[in-house]
Amino acid sequence: MMPKLIKKIEFDKTISKWFKSYDVIAPVSSKEGIHFKRIKDPKEIKLDGNQNSIYPPKNVFLPQSEVLFTVKNDNYEMPDQAPRKRIVFGMRPCDARAVWLLDTIFNKADDLDLYWGKRREKALIISVGCASMCSNGFCDTVGSGPFGKDGSDILITELDDAYFVDPLTSAGEALIKSLPEADDTQGKNAKLIQKGSVIKEHQAADLPRIREKLYEAFNTSIWKDVSESCLGCGVCTYLCPTCFCFDIVDEIDRSERVRNWDTCMFRVYSAEASGHNPRPTKAERTRQRIMHKFAYWVDNEAASGCTGCGRCISQCPVNLDIREMVQEITSLKIQ
Amino acid sequence: MDDFSQVRKEAARILSEKIVDMVIGFKQGTIPLKSQPMFITSQEDTDKLILDGFCQNNLAVFLHDQPKDKRIGIICRACESRAVRALVIEHQVNRENLYLIGVPCMGILDWKKIQDAADGPVTNAQESGDQILLEIGDKKQVLIRNEFIVDSCRGCGHREPIDVDIQIGEISPIEMNADNLPQTWGESFKSKSADERFQLFTEETERCIRCYACREACPMCYCTECFVDHIAPRWSESMVTPGGTQAWHIIRAFHQTGRCVECGACERACPMDIKMVYLTDKLNDDMKKEYGFEVGENEEKQPPFATITLDDKNRFKY
Repeated sequence: MMPKLIKKIEFDKTISKWFKSYDVIAPVSSKEGIHFKRIKDPKEIKLDGNQNSIYPPKNVFLPQSEVLFTVKNDNYEMPDQAPRKRIVFGMRPCDARAVWLLDTIFNKADDLDLYWGKRREKALIISVGCASMCSNGFCDTVGSGPFGKDGSDILITELDDAYFVDPLTSAGEALIKSLPEADDTQGKNAKLIQKGSVIKEHQAADLPRIREKLYEAFNTSIWKDVSESCLGCGVCTYLCPTCFCFDIVDEIDRSERVRNWDTCMFRVYSAEASGHNPRPTKAERTRQRIMHKFAYWVDNEAASGCTGCGRCISQCPVNLDIREMVQEITSLKIQ
Repeated sequence: MDDFSQVRKEAARILSEKIVDMVIGFKQGTIPLKSQPMFITSQEDTDKLILDGFCQNNLAVFLHDQPKDKRIGIICRACESRAVRALVIEHQVNRENLYLIGVPCMGILDWKKIQDAADGPVTNAQESGDQILLEIGDKKQVLIRNEFIVDSCRGCGHREPIDVDIQIGEISPIEMNADNLPQTWGESFKSKSADERFQLFTEETERCIRCYACREACPMCYCTECFVDHIAPRWSESMVTPGGTQAWHIIRAFHQTGRCVECGACERACPMDIKMVYLTDKLNDDMKKEYGFEVGENEEKQPPFATITLDDKNRFKY
């Protein structure tokens, strides 16, 4: 597929053209930092440096709360949740990879989640690679990278006066077919930027080893040690681009069945009706979070469930650092 | 604090003399501008203890999970000492099993504001007197410390740790030069009309993602089951809607009436940068005005809204 080019002076014009047939969702400035929302003017887009949003864009496909159906006169009515086609512009490769990972959960051919499936079907993901890695990011160690391609329909590399636009799927290619082609020099420059973006000291995580070590440590007290300062809030999981747990609740007053994000870090998440809680303390809950990311995902998809975006590290109120936790657990010597 | 080694020595002493089983303090964080709470059981680890403006939590929150009969030492800034007293008054901790090491506090720093003011991603940050020294890769940058003190610490009227077992270090005044600083959020909120205030409240709460970091970071939020988690009866809508989120913020604040120690740990824990201290501050002001009650000033008095007396001048109406 031929790489294309958007000159910076023509950027607004190009994006505006998409407004006719698509809702365009893009990173904009907001009170807490960068936030993904539907834009009406390309000037709203904020792509400065390598800053990612605090709230992950997974909510484009898995909203924090959504009505699954309403019961009216004995009929079940499903809401039309994505009537228009959508472009998610400016997703970072870590978040696009997260969507790709979540497709293995929600978008299976034989076990499709209708809500996720419909939204995915009607959406294109245009990622913008990170010329330099963000402070707490470690995408390059968990199977992706600042220019990782998984999940994206188009991957953009920012050049001095233009955007180098690389289509990765046929849908992506169709969207940009009228754009001018990039020449060889631009292609070379883009390659240079992509190569220069990784941090040399970073080493790829040895996922099979980590997985094995985690299973070995399953019944040890290390989990209590690493989770001692955990507050039990939902910051790490709600801000995680791959955490997808949800709770289904009937809002009886409105005759609605709704789905809300939920998190294994909450005590009530695993509390059972009998009063028994199979994950009674923070140690078991933290174990679940780490095992899910670095053992169960590896079991099921041979990939890490962590895309290395670093949000949980930057935003944790007590600075619990998943890198440090995994390091500590896997270096444990078990008799 | 200039000489923190005394605090480390005291922590090591109470551990070695078996006065306590554990000391709660802070250690260096894994990333710049952050620190980590630390639970020390062996005296060698006391060397790792630190205290600076990046220690953003209220350590008293960690007493919730500890058995009441465990003997615990805790490095106490004024906020932590007030929280401990409030927890003692509400029978949540046994004061005799705690050993409070009082330390001075120069105000907690807003790491997000510092990062925003920096010329790039901060790779190292140190406090030095009234300055914050930043390293951004090879570059260096100096910020004025007072400009980055969080709102809840700027107006702090309780800088002296109370009821401590030992006080280390002197409480020196913070020269705020408040004239040069913009109004705090709470002050500017107060000066607005009711409609404007509701607008601001709406704008703040609509960013809420219900991660409940505010609740979990709060030393006074210790209910084993929070009202939002209650299923029968259901007090709060399950969906993250503007109405449900506003209800959460209002009820959370009301449950803190006359109990909030004004440490601001809730606001600092919030990933979405939502202002909330102004709500509890207002409720505490009312408690002072209406009942002459202030959290932590007295060893016995229960918070007015947690008390019932037979000679109450106001009868219950129904």
